[in-house]
Amino acid sequence: MITVYVPCDSAALSIGADEVAMAIECEAALLGLEIDLVRNGTRGMLWLEPLVEVATPAGRIGYGPVRPEAVADLIAAGLLDGADHELNLGVVDELPWMRDQQRLCLARVGITDPLSPEDYVANGGNAGLRRALSMPPADVIAEVTESGLRGRGGAGFPAGIKWKTVADTEDDLKFVCCNADEGDSGTFADRIVMEGDPFSLLEGMTIAGYAVGASEGYIYLRSEYPDAAATTGQAIETAREQGWLGDDVLGSGFKFDIHLRLGGGAYICGEETSMLESLEGKRGMVRAKPPIPAITGLFGRPTVVNNVLTLTSVGAILADGGQGYAALGLDRSRGTQVFQLAGNIKHGGVFESAFGISLEKLVNEYGGGTLSGRPLRTVQVGGPLGQYIPADGLDIPTDYEAFAAAGAMLGHGGIVVFDDTVNMASMARFAMEFCVAESCGKCTPCRVGSVRGVETIDKIVAGVDRDRNLTLLNDLCDLMVDGSLCAMGGLTPNPVRSALQHFPEDFSTLEAGQ
Amino acid sequence: MTLYADHDLGTPAPAQDAPPLTLEIDGVSVTVPQGTSVMRAAALAGIDVPKLCATDSLDAFGSCRLCLVEVEGGRGTPASCTTPCADGMKVNTRTDKVDKLRQSVMELYLSDHPTDCQTCSPTGGCELQDLATTVGLPDMRYGLEGINHLNLPVDDSNPYFTFDPTSCISCSRCVRACGEIQGTFALTIEGRGFDSKVSASAGETFLESECVSCGACVAACPTSALQENSVIELGLPTRTVKTTCAYCGVGCSFNAELQGDELIRMVPDKTGGANEGHACVKGRFAYGYASHEDRQLNPMIRERITDDWQVVDWDTAINYVAQKMKTIQTEHGVGAIGGITSSRTTNEEVYVVQKMVRAAFGNNNVDTCARVCHSPTGYGLKQTFGESAGTQDFRSVAKADAIVVIGANPTDGHPVFASRMKRRLREGAQLVVIDPRRIDLVRSPHIEAAYHLPLAPGTNVAMVNALAHVVVTEGLVDRAFVDARCEDFDGWAEFISSPEHSPEVAQEVTGVPAEDIRAAARLYATAENGAIYYGLGVTEHSQGSTMVMGMANLAMATGNIGREGVGVNPLRGQNNVQGSCDMGSFPHELPGYRHVSDDAVREVFEKLWGTRITPTPGLRIPNMFDSALDGSFRGLYVQGEDIAQSDPNTSHVYASLKSLDLLVVQDLFLNETAQLAHVFLPGTSFLEKDGTFTNAERRINRVRPVMAPATGKHEWQIPCDIAQAMGYDMSYDDPSQIMDEIATLTPTFKGVSFARLDALGSVQWPCNDEAPEGTPTMHVEDFTRGKGRFMVTTFVPTTERATRKFPLILTTGRILSQYNVGAQTRRTPNVMWHAEDILEIHASDAEMRGIHDGDEVTITSRTGETVLRAVISDRMPPGVVYTTFHYPLSGANVVTTDNSDWATNCPEYKVTAVQVTVGTGLHDTDVELAARAAR
Amino acid sequence: MITAPALRLAGDILAQFRHLPDDQAVDTVANHIRMFWDPRMRAQLLELATSAGADCDPLVSRVVTSLGD
Repeated sequence: MITVYVPCDSAALSIGADEVAMAIECEAALLGLEIDLVRNGTRGMLWLEPLVEVATPAGRIGYGPVRPEAVADLIAAGLLDGADHELNLGVVDELPWMRDQQRLCLARVGITDPLSPEDYVANGGNAGLRRALSMPPADVIAEVTESGLRGRGGAGFPAGIKWKTVADTEDDLKFVCCNADEGDSGTFADRIVMEGDPFSLLEGMTIAGYAVGASEGYIYLRSEYPDAAATTGQAIETAREQGWLGDDVLGSGFKFDIHLRLGGGAYICGEETSMLESLEGKRGMVRAKPPIPAITGLFGRPTVVNNVLTLTSVGAILADGGQGYAALGLDRSRGTQVFQLAGNIKHGGVFESAFGISLEKLVNEYGGGTLSGRPLRTVQVGGPLGQYIPADGLDIPTDYEAFAAAGAMLGHGGIVVFDDTVNMASMARFAMEFCVAESCGKCTPCRVGSVRGVETIDKIVAGVDRDRNLTLLNDLCDLMVDGSLCAMGGLTPNPVRSALQHFPEDFSTLEAGQ
Repeated sequence: MTLYADHDLGTPAPAQDAPPLTLEIDGVSVTVPQGTSVMRAAALAGIDVPKLCATDSLDAFGSCRLCLVEVEGGRGTPASCTTPCADGMKVNTRTDKVDKLRQSVMELYLSDHPTDCQTCSPTGGCELQDLATTVGLPDMRYGLEGINHLNLPVDDSNPYFTFDPTSCISCSRCVRACGEIQGTFALTIEGRGFDSKVSASAGETFLESECVSCGACVAACPTSALQENSVIELGLPTRTVKTTCAYCGVGCSFNAELQGDELIRMVPDKTGGANEGHACVKGRFAYGYASHEDRQLNPMIRERITDDWQVVDWDTAINYVAQKMKTIQTEHGVGAIGGITSSRTTNEEVYVVQKMVRAAFGNNNVDTCARVCHSPTGYGLKQTFGESAGTQDFRSVAKADAIVVIGANPTDGHPVFASRMKRRLREGAQLVVIDPRRIDLVRSPHIEAAYHLPLAPGTNVAMVNALAHVVVTEGLVDRAFVDARCEDFDGWAEFISSPEHSPEVAQEVTGVPAEDIRAAARLYATAENGAIYYGLGVTEHSQGSTMVMGMANLAMATGNIGREGVGVNPLRGQNNVQGSCDMGSFPHELPGYRHVSDDAVREVFEKLWGTRITPTPGLRIPNMFDSALDGSFRGLYVQGEDIAQSDPNTSHVYASLKSLDLLVVQDLFLNETAQLAHVFLPGTSFLEKDGTFTNAERRINRVRPVMAPATGKHEWQIPCDIAQAMGYDMSYDDPSQIMDEIATLTPTFKGVSFARLDALGSVQWPCNDEAPEGTPTMHVEDFTRGKGRFMVTTFVPTTERATRKFPLILTTGRILSQYNVGAQTRRTPNVMWHAEDILEIHASDAEMRGIHDGDEVTITSRTGETVLRAVISDRMPPGVVYTTFHYPLSGANVVTTDNSDWATNCPEYKVTAVQVTVGTGLHDTDVELAARAAR
Repeated sequence: MITAPALRLAGDILAQFRHLPDDQAVDTVANHIRMFWDPRMRAQLLELATSAGADCDPLVSRVVTSLGD
């Protein structure tokens, strides 16, 4: 029987993957061919979606992008045998994009049926959890600490230290919360993992629960990801059936269960304390820290809050040992990062690599430059609150500290590319507008400051009291950075100031309010 | 913001037993308990860091960002309110950096705030305005043309305060106060970011919302966004007097704030032991009755109750009473007259009434309105523990792990205590509610009772016996406590272990599933600290005293006595129920609960009073009524109690009172009883009184005169004058002398004096040489009577039961906005929340009778009938109907029977078999005629 | 409309102590009445108990005798 793969990832679905799958089944049936059609996750080469693969003795041969109406031709041309065709990409694993990655978080994404427990185990799933359960919890934490794993949500806090704090805080009830409220513009790695390999997230959370002594986990998932929600929810059910979750995880006696909760569309709920408030059923408002969630978290209990990629990395670390993971990357940025290439880029998608690869290489070599073909003007890394890096400043290694030194931030690894048609004053204004729209409203610098920020930028652009308003904007940015309660207000000046610094010429041309 | 000079430390105090640490703030060394915020430590060192969202009654919030400081060696500029102190920390609260940041914050605030500081009502009381001066008024570079909130509509729906969102700075203090302090969670922030605005419930007006008008939000507001209407209309007060609320038995301390003699507002006192800065809609706002036009300020007399009142001067009235009383005694004997004291008056005022009766009248015919509410508490706790009082202070509830509420509705009846209890419940304490009705505590925001046992009215004793049965038969008895501290356990244990007390048998009687009874018993017995709180749903039964003893048994058996977090705690109805009982108001007891038959005790009083005291008990209130009808009791002096409205079986009461030769009523208003009186003596409101109230936790609070008596005479002087006119020498220059006399005569009050109360704020009796600062928790080492005594509590069902003719059981209760017979609250805007008494009835009972929501229905019992509006309610179980008794017209007591507690005659208000029929078939009863004639 | 509260109440008190041996119950009830009742209520009880005669609860009769009014 021939095995054919058609991704069920929502990026693929959005451009007809379901129709492609149906067409393949129809054509095969018409031809009386028995095929095994597997709905896998995405390989991450989104410009090639829907990417159809067929298993051949030489490996999985890819075709893409495949339109539904092209299926009949493709089948006729011998797709099921891996035959040549203009859409034939060759063996997918040997494409440079795939070959050059170090896929740990994405190890199974695109390879397996995301909801098949057999596929999961056959491809190394649960190895990390099994090893963890055979060790004392403190050793699990030590292993994670040794790996150098830092939080992938953006702040880059060492995961092992966070876990140790939770483990050392005595309570009869502790939680592991996965922050899957992936709201940054240009980011989609969490979604791709949850849609493509949800068990790996569950495994990471279970390891975290075991390490810190938690009995319950919550995944806080944004409601804009219905496919991820469906897949993750189904994976939780399956994991319970498999005994991977529940009263006796993998027969170890360890009790752990995971619940899925959907957010209500607020960006601020990606901030960990707001997320906890929301999980408690309250309005998503930022909590002041201290107390930190590791000590006083969900429902006031010690709580691990980690991003999807952080938790997904844990399985690989425990399976292969912390040392091996730490061998990847450089300086204090260890292991791999799942970079997401987006915006005006020719080859968009996810690319997992050890830290250190240069931004320039990611954008121009793997990303292929702008989609429009026009000159690249700037790149924003780390979401809507990240700095704008000018085209001539891209040659920096992807490393938390190196980015900081360059006045930028790595954040969640989202890279958004702009060509030379962008107006940077309007991008600065947009940063403030974004803050107006997404501020939880708790602290004054963010709640009122963002509104005044928009108004002040408008005045600057309109040429009203330009110098005075530039000073005022600078004072406001100081206040937002130093005085905001959380990173929402605190980082909003990043895009504003970087736009002003690198592209001052744009601030005298735009009409107010444009 | 209050006039009362209160140094707000910004954040609450941490646990006092936390280890100390030392830090340096602006070069000043400060030592504070661990967990103290930098802001609080700074304030304690005399350095007030600017703040708007922080106040020491609320948890730190960290939103205004004015309190930013720099910590040496630390990163950034943390908010001092949310940053805990660390040992050796060096904090700078004033640096160029933070000064500039604060100015930037202020600049943002003022870019969206009205510029009418000169005319805005709280001038001199606005924290925003004060701070703008402190941090330096910025030069407003944003201008005023940006988007803003200056056109939002004002919400003036609440009769007592106004919400003006244009002045709101979104600090959430009101929202947090509503949740953290009051526990109602009616307020919320609606919208996000710049659109955030304070909202009551789901965008309703304050009045329509779930807001209970406690005013915590108004007190918390740093600007004029939430402001008392009185302040808006009259301006800020200019002087303040600390005094005590005259509503329920919680006894909240207030600062009465005035302009001259005009009361502007009542501000709860943060140092008040009972309330610690909180209040309810009654105490904070409903004081208008004191100056209501119905208030009577002149003495009046009339020969017959059908005559018109004649206004007379005090001397005439006093002499008239004295002569009439003497004449009655001459003609019908010394015992033919008596008096009733009031639980609404001060200890000193009560004391002089009972002294007048015992010394000038020469008999023991003195009783108190506590007869009809908490007399079983006095009896039951005295029999078991040895003291007629609750065992704890209110603060104790903060350490309770399992809380059992029996026959009480704290959120309506004792709202300020309820807020404390709810706070503890939100922290995780478990709750058991034993009540026929699903009171709010059973399920309200962030609170849910672990068990609600909706027992049939009248079956309390069966329930408490079943709970005790579980404790004894399941091995949950605290043997060490029982062996060391109690007596008569074995006999009781044998009694209670009998299968007839099992939950399975009790299920048949109470209607509550046995497994729920068992689970509730286990919860209480196995909790680290189990506390019982109860109200009139326990006492106002024919087995009220038995039930009180049953609860005491349960507490002793589980060792839940003698420390914080436990106890048996009556929630007293009126402000001075405890005090009026303490003061010797019962006919068998002299002050301090000492029996009149005790020669040694009597001798002490006789010596000081210079008169002989009768050694046999006098008449109780119901005996007075019975004796009035048989002609042996003819003269009655009633102090501040509307017995015609509040006592059961109204027609019996009316008939009794009408047969008296002399009925003297001393009250603020011409109440229902006054309609039948011959003499009316105007009383004083709590704003005019000088004395003390004793609340449900035995706390003696000072009541200080806010203004001179409007009647020209202090109320404590009236009985003295009558006694004097009757030939008994009784006079004081000052109420403090009365307390001094009480202290001389009463061992538990030995250390009490106005001077000590002024110094300590309040004390909880016993206050004597052993406990000079009072006794928050009783029975710590030993019970007052030595050993705690287990009492056998046989369940004797009431004779009042549902029959074919009267198939429903009527029970009664209170509502938040009204108080008791309503004489006070009905004369305030509180009527906006509760304009009439209503009958709550289960849907199936209503449907069976063709009753629709809002119908007028007739309630008939074997003693009478009355008309109420019906409301179909799922709070009631089928077979039980419920009403309040705040309005005279509804005449709830027209239908109540004269059944009473076997030990104390406390009426069985809580169980009346009735029929309910749709429509108003009211007949012209004697009562109705009398009431109509009076109007 | 004089009811018979004294007699009814005496019965109510007695009901609480039925678990005791008769002598003890009589003593307890009599003592309660001595402690809490006004003399004229006791007189009323005597009168009512006397007029009830054999219809009066025998233990209540013994209480009345014991009070010695």
